[in-house]
Amino acid sequence: MNALLLTLAITTTVGSLLAFQPAAAQLLPPAKKAERVEITKGPDLELARGHLTIIRWTTNNPGGSDVHYGIVHYGTDPKDLSQTAKNPIRLNQGHTHTTFRVRLYDLTPRTTYYYTVTSEESNGTSDGVKSTVRTFTTPAPGEIIVGAGP
Amino acid sequence: MTRRGLLAVLRTFALVALALSVAPQPVPAQKAAPAKKESPPPKAPTKPGTPTPYNPYPPGILPADLDSELERVLREIAVIYQQAVAEWRALPPPNLTGQPPTLQGSGYDMVQTLGKLMNFDRNISPFKNQACASCHMPYAGFSGPIPSVNLTMIAYPGSFRYRAGKRTAQRYTYAPWFPVLQLNETQQLFFGGNFWDSRATGYLLQNPDAEQAQHPPVDTQEHGFPDTACIVFRLSQAEYRPLFEQVWGRGSLDIKFPPDTEKICATPGGAAVFGTDTTPVKLSPEDRLLSNRAFDNWGQSVDAFEKSKEVSPFTSKFDAFLAMKATLTPDEMAGYNLFRGKAACNTCHVDGRGSTQTPGTGFDGVPATTTGTDTSHAATVNPLFTCFGSANEGLPLNPRDAFYYQTTPDFFGFTPNPFGFAYRDLGLGTFLRSGFGSAPNPNSEWIPFAPTSDGQFQVATARNVAMTPTQCPTTEAPGPYFQKEFFHNGYIKSLKQLVHFYNTRDVYAFPVTSGHCPPGTIEKVTCWPMPEVRNNLDMTTGNLAMTDLEENQVVAFLQTLTDGFTKPYPNRNTFTGTCMMGGSASTQGNESIIPTPPLPPCASAICGVAPFPTMPIP
Repeated sequence: MNALLLTLAITTTVGSLLAFQPAAAQLLPPAKKAERVEITKGPDLELARGHLTIIRWTTNNPGGSDVHYGIVHYGTDPKDLSQTAKNPIRLNQGHTHTTFRVRLYDLTPRTTYYYTVTSEESNGTSDGVKSTVRTFTTPAPGEIIVGAGP
Repeated sequence: MTRRGLLAVLRTFALVALALSVAPQPVPAQKAAPAKKESPPPKAPTKPGTPTPYNPYPPGILPADLDSELERVLREIAVIYQQAVAEWRALPPPNLTGQPPTLQGSGYDMVQTLGKLMNFDRNISPFKNQACASCHMPYAGFSGPIPSVNLTMIAYPGSFRYRAGKRTAQRYTYAPWFPVLQLNETQQLFFGGNFWDSRATGYLLQNPDAEQAQHPPVDTQEHGFPDTACIVFRLSQAEYRPLFEQVWGRGSLDIKFPPDTEKICATPGGAAVFGTDTTPVKLSPEDRLLSNRAFDNWGQSVDAFEKSKEVSPFTSKFDAFLAMKATLTPDEMAGYNLFRGKAACNTCHVDGRGSTQTPGTGFDGVPATTTGTDTSHAATVNPLFTCFGSANEGLPLNPRDAFYYQTTPDFFGFTPNPFGFAYRDLGLGTFLRSGFGSAPNPNSEWIPFAPTSDGQFQVATARNVAMTPTQCPTTEAPGPYFQKEFFHNGYIKSLKQLVHFYNTRDVYAFPVTSGHCPPGTIEKVTCWPMPEVRNNLDMTTGNLAMTDLEENQVVAFLQTLTDGFTKPYPNRNTFTGTCMMGGSASTQGNESIIPTPPLPPCASAICGVAPFPTMPIP
């Protein structure tokens, strides 16, 4: 009898928990696209160490797709920025501004590089932004450059 | 193997043994006590006539307590299974009525109870030793229940010991809320699906969670049935068959199984004897149709359970906070403001609220993304803390993953990973290519998106990331804590490390593999090894400029997302294992780090499949 009561108690307690919850997928609509996207800060060198260099810049929130790509065109000749690096970032729709950061790998030490930056939506639509040509110099082997604030 | 490679492997063995000798010791859940003397490595159960277990692992890869822990979990599963039987017995008589016919009044309880019985049924495996719950127990938010596995081998052993998968067991909680995998044509991005690589698309049942439940029973390294009909065969023998037939229809399991069905279903998938035959149980066309339908009903029933309040109840402190029935502590509130501000967590782990924020710079202690205060109102009553998308966060390759070592044939002639350390986990990218270790992609239009999806894994809901057994109230050292594992490859061992990774991944980036951080650095503290896959690396985070205190505050906030605050979380107290004690959350599990061997190039069967990656994957 006690076993039966225990069973009933368990059943009542746990059984009452078995009920569906409201199911609503929460895909948010893409953010409203900004009328004009412009760089508000940078681009600058965020970090440079032997194998990894990071370029960063901030724009007003471009809106559109949830994911945007930051793109860096770079090279050691300012007239030949033929190398390209790109990384995705995910927009926070509620933020007024968006920071792009792009990784460049295995650059030559103690070398001056030239670059411009741009960005695009995940579907390839350009944000319509392109920076002027900027420059940075990579550190000596074993050294690290941490970018200073703008 | 080259001499250099052999030396590297030997060095790895030696360091594994050394690492184990200095590991924090487990303590009983109820009371801290001196550590037990280390037990010997697991030995295969060798009953006469049973297949020789598969153990291709170097010493230290399988945790020493693996066998006893597997048995411990099976005992816990038996308790909950009996609980489910009692619930089933207590259901009122079914009242199937109306047009279309509906189980009036008790339909929800019936299908959810059926799903619960299935979930805790160890007979749904060739050797009747593995239930879904073997890798998904309530007290871990329905994720991995064995602390030592979470610390070491990452993936859980399958029914045929000790085959193992390659990724961590994802939490069930709120998995049913993920939509059918879809390519958003406007954004050219994927949303939805289940599994880390979204391979349970939901394309047929229009329910990715139900389709997710169909995969592990026929995954060669999990339950390992060789034929979906084997699940149905075992269901037809289950004591709860009457409930199945009440829910899904009289005669739904009336299938004439051939006499050799038991023998076939007791042989794990991948066995050489099956060749490429995926339907070795030879059924008549009519019975195959019935079997396929019952297999769908299996997935739908398990999904019903996962959707129930017993699994996904929205009873966290944060839910109470949104309902203005609880107040966050100052640290939790600060963590929440960081979560949706400086740390930018809610960019992907959507909290259902808006924000009005101002830009930061990422330098000199200022965040990399943005700062500000949320002044807007809640847009979603029950936020799910995921965007249903996928991202590559740049986790290092974890050489502890048991998958890398399964390079030789087992007793049945199956080799789980012929590529060894030449395997790279490209996640969604490999699935879109229908590649090795994933599943067929049912939509050829998606294939061109593989290169921009390489290295991406599903953005998990942050809910219940901190769920632990009642007896071990935290995931964080010094505890008493329950050792969990985070991200798809379990590289991260505490929430503190998880937040620190997002905060400093790029600040402490070193061109090394795990186990090889330079002298003077501490892995996971001041050294992050290079990503396993550099392609498509998400740069939303990685340099957030949070202080140590701020990291801790984000952890405090994450802990408010654990269900069970407003009502007890069912079966959270069923853990009978041991809590861990000692150490620090920052270096938690570091004693288990082993040096990554020299990595061969990525196998062409993985990285050389068209459409090719956007840049070569080393």
